[in-house]
Amino acid sequence: MVTVALPETIETAFDVQGLNIFYGAKQAINDIDLSIKKHEITALIGPSGCGKSTFLRSINRMNDDVPGFRAEGLIQYDDINLLTDNIDTVALRKEIGMVFQNPNPFPKSIAKNITQPLKEHGIRSKRKLTEQVETNLRRVGLWDEVRDRLDTSAYSLSGGQQQRLCIARALCIHPEVLLLDEPASALDPIATAKIEDLLLHLKDHYTIILVTHNLQQAARVADSTAFFYQGEVVEHTDTEQFFSNPKEKRSEDYISGRFG
Amino acid sequence: METNLRASERLVRKSRKLSLKNPERNGKIVVYTAAFLTVVATLAVTVFLAQRGLQSFYMSDINPLEFFTSTNWNPSGDNPTYGALIFIFGSLAVTLASAVIVAPLGIGAAIFMTEIAPSWGKKVLQPVIEILVGIPSVIYGYIGLTVLVPFIREQVGGSGYSLMAGIVVVSVMILPTVTTLSADALNRLPNGLRSSSYALGATRWQTIRRVLLPAAIPGLLTAVILGMARAIGEALAIQMVIGNTELLPGSLLDPTATMTTIITLNMGHTTFGSAENNVLWTLGLILLAISYLLVMAVRFLGARRKI
Amino acid sequence: MNRKLTDKLATLIFTLFAAVIVLVLAALLSYVLYLGIQQVSWDFLTSKSSNFRAGGGIQDQLFNSFYILLWTMIFTIPLGLAGGIYMAEYAEDNKLTAIIRVCIETLASLPSIVLGMFGLLVFVNTFDIGYSVLSGALTLTIFNMPIMIRTCENAIRSVSPQQKEAGLALGYTHWRTITTVLLPSAFPSILTGIILSCGLVFGEAAALLYSAGMTTPNLDFGNWNPFAETSPLNIMRPAETLSVHVWKVNSEGIIPDIRDVADGGAAVLVTANLIFNISARLLGSWIHRKLTSK
Ligand SMILES: Nc1ncnc2c1ncn2[C@@H]1O[C@H](COP(=O)(O)OP(=O)(O)OP(=O)(O)O)[C@@H](O)[C@H]1O
Ligand SMILES: [Mg+2]
Repeated sequence: MVTVALPETIETAFDVQGLNIFYGAKQAINDIDLSIKKHEITALIGPSGCGKSTFLRSINRMNDDVPGFRAEGLIQYDDINLLTDNIDTVALRKEIGMVFQNPNPFPKSIAKNITQPLKEHGIRSKRKLTEQVETNLRRVGLWDEVRDRLDTSAYSLSGGQQQRLCIARALCIHPEVLLLDEPASALDPIATAKIEDLLLHLKDHYTIILVTHNLQQAARVADSTAFFYQGEVVEHTDTEQFFSNPKEKRSEDYISGRFG
Repeated sequence: METNLRASERLVRKSRKLSLKNPERNGKIVVYTAAFLTVVATLAVTVFLAQRGLQSFYMSDINPLEFFTSTNWNPSGDNPTYGALIFIFGSLAVTLASAVIVAPLGIGAAIFMTEIAPSWGKKVLQPVIEILVGIPSVIYGYIGLTVLVPFIREQVGGSGYSLMAGIVVVSVMILPTVTTLSADALNRLPNGLRSSSYALGATRWQTIRRVLLPAAIPGLLTAVILGMARAIGEALAIQMVIGNTELLPGSLLDPTATMTTIITLNMGHTTFGSAENNVLWTLGLILLAISYLLVMAVRFLGARRKI
Repeated sequence: MNRKLTDKLATLIFTLFAAVIVLVLAALLSYVLYLGIQQVSWDFLTSKSSNFRAGGGIQDQLFNSFYILLWTMIFTIPLGLAGGIYMAEYAEDNKLTAIIRVCIETLASLPSIVLGMFGLLVFVNTFDIGYSVLSGALTLTIFNMPIMIRTCENAIRSVSPQQKEAGLALGYTHWRTITTVLLPSAFPSILTGIILSCGLVFGEAAALLYSAGMTTPNLDFGNWNPFAETSPLNIMRPAETLSVHVWKVNSEGIIPDIRDVADGGAAVLVTANLIFNISARLLGSWIHRKLTSK
């Protein structure tokens, strides 16, 4: 177990080395190395089943309860390895937020979707809570759309609005990192564009890892792109470089739609 | 979040202070205790019933062989005899006969609900039948007593109080149970089974008989077994119509008794610890053992269903 | 035989089965209600029963039924919730869980007369509580607990896993995720299950014969001191419930108006059961709609 190796530069958020992940006997991630920069958007792309979600969910330890799940290697974050047993997953997940493929707001009012997590993390003051509802809904550009109906059920929102609410909900507890697993795949192009816009705004303050099947999306928003294939990272470079001039044959094939 | 703490200080679990106010741990304790209570309750029921139920044999010196094989029930005579075969027979007769009557009816109705009129079946029939499952058994007994018994007396013969009345009442009572559980079993079948059979040009009946029924057999059997569990355990509804004579019935029209009815009637006016009271506990123990057997059968079928 | 014809025939037979079942059962229920309604009056509901004279009512029995139901639910709901949470969220796939499951299934399929015997042996005799509201409620708790555990387990399991993920990903602890995310979402089904089981408990008789007893002291509805001998609230007094009363009147009653009391009591019992059943369904789907849509 490596704990001494500090990240190469301060600019690195996650330094992944020799990561292996198994579901029972099946290996889902095969000895990958990957360095993810702070305050950038890193896109993870690759064909279905190549291990993108698996990797993402091992960062905030969401797979801990999956029977047979086992992760070995190093995910260096600041001065710790996130895979060690003594990580406080509750604190970790507060610091590393996650947004899922399908919008999953709580079946409560729009406002409560923001206030409940805040209360859960100790904020009691009414004034502060109301204020936070507005701040966070503004951040995701939802405030003007819903300010008159904060007390209606979150399920009355459209899919895209729900997803932005989920992002606001993840942001309200002040994470440092946002993990997004295909956040726009269930949305129409207009809602998708809104989310992409939002991500570009957020990256100044957050480190963002974005799993997507939409190559244009990766090209539009990501600073760097990592191409996963069968549990390995085939190539990880600057997004522009990746799409215009991939080094690997398999990357090129994937971009040009020859498989996957 | 501006913070000067390193991740090792923020994100590594500190050794928790021992505090009574740890909801995470307290919740776990409560929840484990409740789960454990089910085991305690089951063990308690088993141990207490076994302890009392076996006293017939080692305290009251009743010969087990006689108990299980003799129909000679005369606990209050000068030379008391405790042959319980009448009651065991009565219980088994009621249970098996009602299962034989109800199985085709219940499964047939379930097929109607799921295969023939699925939308209507789901919206109307299913809720109605589920409501009937919850009707108290004394109601079934009361209807048996006021409608069925006089009907048998006038139309068929005898006093009306009879094994037949018991069987009919129990059948009516377990019919809704068997029907809903069978419908559940049929509903659980993957839809692909149906569509692939129809795609091959099979008629509905062929699909039901050759594809659906075979696939649903473990579930349907489970439904019938759970119905039987209800039948063998039913006390009051049967007691109200079966006549309660301690005799082996010569025909369906004769009155008789079951394990549950004799317990119901005699528990109140026999002295705790007397031989006559002990045999009631033995019958209770037999009912408990049958429950265990039926649970095992259901689990066995459940395991087969997963394959 | 012509396969089209067989198919038609089969369809006909199944339809017939369903029709017969529904007709028979519907006829039975209407019969009970029809006969009973004529006997049920305000007076019948609010006057005391009589052991040998005509004209008795069912006031005490009705009260006892609700009172025992109340205590049973006070015991069962927490136990059922906790057990259901255990089964849905904590039980690992191991021997212990298998054992607990067998126990729950065994308790659920135990004949109620056998449970009544256990109540007699343990609560009435060994703990020396006597024939009482408390003994009855404890016995019915064993009867109802497996049902509640299953209801709660299924309700929690049917909450979408994405809700649970939402909670965990926001840094809720497992326990807080259960109490603030899973339980509120499972609430409509749990409530439906609770009310449905109220119906079952309310109608149960065999388990109560030798635990709550078949008599009631002369209740004084002006005395609400729970320790007074004749107070309705006293939990240490014997309490014949309505369904026990219906059984007793039918099978060993000596009052001249057996049929009237039996008809009326049965109708009240069925009505209560229908109210529990129908309100459970309506309430459950109403709350569900309120929570999940506009
Ligand atoms: N809970 C699980 N148990 C067992 N195997 C799993 C589990 N989750 C994922 N896998 C396997 O791990 C591999 C990687 O899955 P993963 O979900 O990470 O893929 P993905 O790249 O996110 O795919 P997609 O683009 O379809 O979301 C797949 O082969 C999958 O079958
Ligand atoms: Mg995925």
